[in-house]
Amino acid sequence: MMKNDNLELAQVEAVDGERTGLAVEVSGLVKRFGERQVLHGLDLRIPAGEFIAIVGRSGCGKSTLLRQLAGLDTVSGGAIGLDGKARDALGDEVRIMYQEARLLPWRTVIQNVALGLSGSRTQVRRRAEEALAQVGLADRADEWPIRLSGGQRQRVALARALIHRPRLLLLDEPLGALDALTRIEMQRLIEQIWRQHAFTAVLVTHDVGEAVALADRILLIEEGRITFDEPVDLPRPREHGEGRFAALESRVLKRLMTVEALNPRNQLRGRVTEIVIDRVLSEVRVLTPAGVVSAAVPTSALRELSLELGAEVLAIFKSNEVVLATTD
Amino acid sequence: MNSSIEALRNGTRRLLPWLLPIAILLAWELSARCGWLSTRILPEPLAVLKAGWTLALSGELWTHIRVSAGRALAGFAIGGGLGLILGLLTGSFRRVEIVLDTTLQMIRNIPPLALIPLVILWFGIDEVAKLFLISFGVFFAVYINTFHGIRSVDPALIEMGRSYGLSGWPLYREVILPGALASILVGVRYALGFMWVILIVAETISAQAGIGYMTMNAREFLQTDVVLLGILLYALLGKLADAAARLLERRWLRWNGAYSSA
Repeated sequence: MMKNDNLELAQVEAVDGERTGLAVEVSGLVKRFGERQVLHGLDLRIPAGEFIAIVGRSGCGKSTLLRQLAGLDTVSGGAIGLDGKARDALGDEVRIMYQEARLLPWRTVIQNVALGLSGSRTQVRRRAEEALAQVGLADRADEWPIRLSGGQRQRVALARALIHRPRLLLLDEPLGALDALTRIEMQRLIEQIWRQHAFTAVLVTHDVGEAVALADRILLIEEGRITFDEPVDLPRPREHGEGRFAALESRVLKRLMTVEALNPRNQLRGRVTEIVIDRVLSEVRVLTPAGVVSAAVPTSALRELSLELGAEVLAIFKSNEVVLATTD
Repeated sequence: MNSSIEALRNGTRRLLPWLLPIAILLAWELSARCGWLSTRILPEPLAVLKAGWTLALSGELWTHIRVSAGRALAGFAIGGGLGLILGLLTGSFRRVEIVLDTTLQMIRNIPPLALIPLVILWFGIDEVAKLFLISFGVFFAVYINTFHGIRSVDPALIEMGRSYGLSGWPLYREVILPGALASILVGVRYALGFMWVILIVAETISAQAGIGYMTMNAREFLQTDVVLLGILLYALLGKLADAAARLLERRWLRWNGAYSSA
């Protein structure tokens, strides 16, 4: 029997592997780093085999949640149950993929994939080769990681995670550093492998499009709590830019922006007092309790926002774009 | 055709570093022959070569080289080995660091050569004194670089290793030790260089054999050519040791693009 088709090989494995996803139950999860509380009693249930995407602004606690699920940090309060058991008992069934591939540069690709695997040498080698074939890198097995591109390194990291047949795969923005095209390729690969192996997946991402493309459910974490939870009811594989895809993407995006806007810090409420129209970039002056604030707005956006004299607006600043200078 | 040009270019690239030394030798030979340089100050290279030849034939040269190299390597093995072990310990265990590191850092600031009078009082002028000086000299180069290497292993890789079920010795073998290796080898190279410096001083104190003994002896009899031969031998042995260290780097760090010869 020829097994030269990666897909077929993977399916054969999934059938005799008969491992299924873990059900995750997080209740009242609290995480503190010193004085700072990052997670405020977070509750989350993930049915076995579901693909969850978590979006949120940086610092909202989404990566912290993932690290808790992975058992990388201790929990300050609350509980994490995996298939009804406490977190620690199932350590080897949970695998995490990081934003960087974190391959050992001094081990070849195949040695990296086989990391932490026990068994006879030939058996380990065979399993590692299979895992590499699944991510399409069988021919690079004996190379050093330094010779691979960023996308290839992430594929090796994926193979390294898959070889343990994880029942829960945690993805901490694993595609964040890749270029757009490689990212879409990797999304397809992850989706394909997830469907074959039926593990539970939790993806943390900045990219709403990625969340919509992959997830069964999209969660928004805001200030350490889940504030938005929406199922993605689109047939797979999903096409970026397709009508319902785009609609959902923009809805989640809008919700995400509202979260930014509703942040009580870095915003000033006021009334438009003057609009200086220019061909490309117009200036809108807003009278706020703190004084007049001037905003540069693309002229094309003026109509969309229906900005006119006397309109009530919020002037919002990104905290990382506020520059401070001394007063003397 | 193409490959022969390539080979020629390769050959030129290999020869290029030797061009200057050869030119200096030629100029030296010439000035000695023309009588611009007194043989008392600097004998002609040919005379040095002849002296080397005579000593090699009598077998004396080999004895000296063997004794010197033996001393150097034994001292290096003791000092470097201790430095490696203690560096690994202090690098890996906070507690050992707290107990040991301050003491070691204080001792480190003593120049090894300042210990000579004390060493002579302790060990006399025997082999032990020389071994002690060399070990002491190379210890810190290896110790500090090993310690630093262990401490600067990427914590992200250690975390990854742990999350993949590695701990204890497997974690050490797969992640920590290879991660520290580049730094350890820098220490080894540095130590090898220092090893010869200490050896030369130690051998000129007093010795019954060795390159240092040979040159000191030759000085007594105004054999400038033999003195020069001794100096050249030190240079050659130093270069050899460095080449060996580089070979190790190339072999053990071949995963790192910067060290691969390709």
